[in-house]
Formats: sequence, structure tokens, C-alpha cells
Amino acid sequence: MTSERKFIVPIGPQHPALKEPGHFEFTVDGEIVTDASVRLGYVHRGIEKGAEERSYIQDLYLFERICGICSHVHATAFALGVERLAGVEAPLRAQAIRSLVAEMERIHSHMLWLGVAAHEGGFDTLFMYSWRDREIVMDLLEAFTGNRVNYSVNLLGGVKCDVNESLRDQILRGMDQLEKRIQHYLNVVTTDRTFLARTEGVGRMTREQADLFGAVGPTARASGVPRDVRVDAPYAYYSTVPVRLITDERGDLLARFVVRINELFEAIRVIREILDHLPEGELTARMPRRIPAGETISRVEAPRGELFYFVKSNGGEKPERVKVRTPSLCNWGSVMQVAVGHKLADMPMILAGIDPCFSCNDRMVQLKRKDSQQWMSWEDLRQYGIEYYKKVL
Amino acid sequence: MTAEETLQQAQKIIEPFVVEMRSPESSRLDGIVSPQNLIPALQALKDAHWGYLSAITGLDYPPSEGEEGHLEALYHLVMDGAVLTVRVKVPYSRPELESVCQVYPAASLYERELMEMFGFILKGTPSTDRLLLSDDWPQGVYPLRKSFQSGKVQEESL
Repeated sequence: MTSERKFIVPIGPQHPALKEPGHFEFTVDGEIVTDASVRLGYVHRGIEKGAEERSYIQDLYLFERICGICSHVHATAFALGVERLAGVEAPLRAQAIRSLVAEMERIHSHMLWLGVAAHEGGFDTLFMYSWRDREIVMDLLEAFTGNRVNYSVNLLGGVKCDVNESLRDQILRGMDQLEKRIQHYLNVVTTDRTFLARTEGVGRMTREQADLFGAVGPTARASGVPRDVRVDAPYAYYSTVPVRLITDERGDLLARFVVRINELFEAIRVIREILDHLPEGELTARMPRRIPAGETISRVEAPRGELFYFVKSNGGEKPERVKVRTPSLCNWGSVMQVAVGHKLADMPMILAGIDPCFSCNDRMVQLKRKDSQQWMSWEDLRQYGIEYYKKVL
Repeated sequence: MTAEETLQQAQKIIEPFVVEMRSPESSRLDGIVSPQNLIPALQALKDAHWGYLSAITGLDYPPSEGEEGHLEALYHLVMDGAVLTVRVKVPYSRPELESVCQVYPAASLYERELMEMFGFILKGTPSTDRLLLSDDWPQGVYPLRKSFQSGKVQEESL
């Protein structure tokens, strides 16, 4: 006898697969998932609205804070868009440094993901090792920019960090070290039998599905979709130092591991090439404070895929509208469709497989005190924080 | 194929449906359609395998000088280096559009955002649940409309 009643397993909102908030509801028939839905917004911060109320220069810092992992690409996308509206082109050296930091950021992001995904598969040794080695590139980023996260390299019209000889050598040494380790990880994820049992043939997304659902980044490329903004529409320094497109036809979790690890090698190659051919010159170009009216679209390849910025200016000092579509949002759509038909136990791995970033797709929070009808303003929140800590300390 | 050639293809496909076309940048084409032509235009693009739906942007044009306010939805389709934007405008009094999920199933998440942030009514969309805003967010308050100012107490509209 079949029952009409549905059994729904909620996962989240606390730490559904990785340490970020999102809520999923999986309808199951026994062990098999028959339907999946997603609820986001737990870390929504209203950044798009906030941007309309601030100047372009303030917005650059705001957008950099959309995501702590891929902060640099957000600022790059915004800066490139605003520069295009203003008809200003950043100097070549600045473009090279933008690409250089973007590739270093990609290394740190992919290695972070490698650790998280290994952890979801119950392979904590790999998690610990990959995060240990990730410190190499984190230290380099800190030496380069002064920050471990939110590097704040970009300015409107250029960059504010430069590479000198000693830093260049330091980065090259770090890359040599990382290359060896990454080769080791590639061997591990493609040969370890217990790990392969969790990844091979799991969460398969065909090329047609990836295309139809609009998957982007490594998730799409692991299904054989040749889609990479750095290749399709080169920006910053990628027209001078082209990136090789890395794809895999298999479309399963294993393919997503292999594609990302191979992208690490490619990032290292690009970093070396940029450092070898770093053009001399200025770091910044002059930017007007008022941006001419117009609309532009700025696309860049974030570690998780295509990052899309739409910037509309009304000729003033503040943007009329900025729309940010982050790669995780595209990939949610695809993964929720792919989840159907898989075992519930595979869900954490499948979710982690797209390298989701919740901060990316959530951007507002509004608070109301229990006993009051009023929304708390920024000032209220600030005051609340100060009083709270006075009591605690 | 260069972005210009790709866009020429797109231009041919959507020509029967658009009211006006313009090319703001060499890699971009904007096609303005009326609400009833939105689905046929997108379907034609999909049938021709032209690109994928990359994002949907909502724009708000608040009422001015006795003129009614409008909402505009921008459907950004991307193929390699080219971006085609299908634009459609609706008045505040009837902010209705057909859901594009019948053409692009993954658009559901974008449409949920469009509905809660701007107050579009999307007919036939598979889910009207809140995506980003909290469940107790007041009805009829659309944070990305220009009338909404953050940090100020919002009037709940009925």
C-alpha cells in the first residue's frame, strides 16, 4: 500500500553541509530524494539597496564585503563596470595585478573547498592537509595586500598594491611548493578507493542539464560545458595572459574535484606568467567623482563561476541601481534539480559539490524588537551592540 | 565567432518580437519587448540554442509628475562574450508578467527574488515562497523599490 503522505527531511538552516546558513527540504521515499527545495536569506544584508544610498567609492568597499572568500572578484567586477561607464581604463600594470590577485584568490578558494568537500565525505585527513597548505597562499596574500580576507586591492581606476622583487620571489617559491602538494591531492582524490566510492557517479549532471539549468563555473565545466568568462570575454589581464579552459565530460562529483584541482595548476601557471611579464607603469588612472549616466554589464569569473554585475548610473555620485548575480545562485538552481533520485546520505556531498557560498546569494537583514513595532535602524543596532558588550564585559 | 556576430544572430531571432533594439556597447544588445511577447522571444532564443539565462535584473521607475510608476525586468542572456538583454516594462497598477520558468526552469530562484524585492506578479511561477526576505516581512513592502529607504520605519501597505 502506498501512502499519499510525504516524508520531508529538513536540513539546516544551521550548518546544512558547510558552516553557513541555508535551509533545504528534501522529500524522500525511503532513502531516495524525490523533491528538493531551498530557502536562502539567512545572511541577507541588503547590499544592493545599500549601494544605491552610498557613493561609488564607498560601494567598492561594500561589494568587496559581499563575500569573504571571493572578495577580490566582486570589487574587480564593480570597478571594471564603473570604469567602463566613466570611459576610464586602468593602467596595464593595474590590470595585471588584478588578475594576479584573482588567481591567488582562486587558489585559496579552491583549496578551502577541497577541504570542506573532503570533510563532507568523511575524509578529515585531506581536509586538514589541504587547509594547512592553503596557508601558503593565505600568507602570500597577506604579504601582498596586508589582509587575509577582503584584500582591498582595487581602487576605481586602478589598484593600490604593487609587487616588488622580494614579493615576486616569495610568490614564486610559494607556487613551487603548492604545485607539489596539489599534485599529491590530485593523486589522492582519483585513487583513494573509499573516497572514490563517495564521488564516482554521484550527483551526475549531464551537459544538457547543466546547459538548461544555467550552471556556471567549475560545476558547469565538470559537466563538459565550455563556459569561462576569462576565456569567453577576457577582462583585466586575461587577454594578454590567456587561460586554458578546463573541462571534464563525466559530470559527477569526481569530475568537480578533478576540474577544480586542475584549475589550481592552471592558476599557478597564470600567476607565474603574469609575474614574468609584469608591465611597468602607473597603478592608477584618474577617475571622475560623478559617473556619466548609462548602463553597463560587467562579468568576471569568480572561483565559483560567472559573477554578473549590472550597474546603472544616473550621472551622479551614487549609482541608480547595482544588480549582483552571484555564481552560487545559478548553481543552486541546477543542484536542486539534480538532487532528485539520489540517496539522502549523498546530499551533503552534492550540496558541497557546487562549492556553495551563502554570503554570496544572501544580501539583507532587518530586525524588529519583540516589544516594539519599529524596525531597528543601523544606529539602533550599533547602540544595541555597544550596550550589549558593556553588560558582558 | 566574435561577440558582434553572435549578437547579429540574436538580432535575427528576436526581430519579430521586439519594439525597439539598441546596442549600448559592442558586446551588448538590448531588445525591448511588450509583456505578451516576452515568452515567445525567449522561447525562440532557446529553440535556436542561443545562450543561457544569466540573470534577471529588476528596475524601479517611481511615479513622477502625475505619471504612473513602472517596473522593468531585464532578462540577461549570455552566449560566450555577448550579452543580450530582453527588457520588458509594466505599470505599478498591473505589474504582471508570465513566468519564464516554462522556458528556463532554473529561473525560479531569480523570479522569487524579483517578486519579493520589487512586487512583480509572475503568472505560472512554480514557487512564490520567500527566498531572501524573512517570513514575517510585511506584505506589500518591496525593499528594492525607490520608495523604500533603509534605516527608516516602513509603512505596511494594504
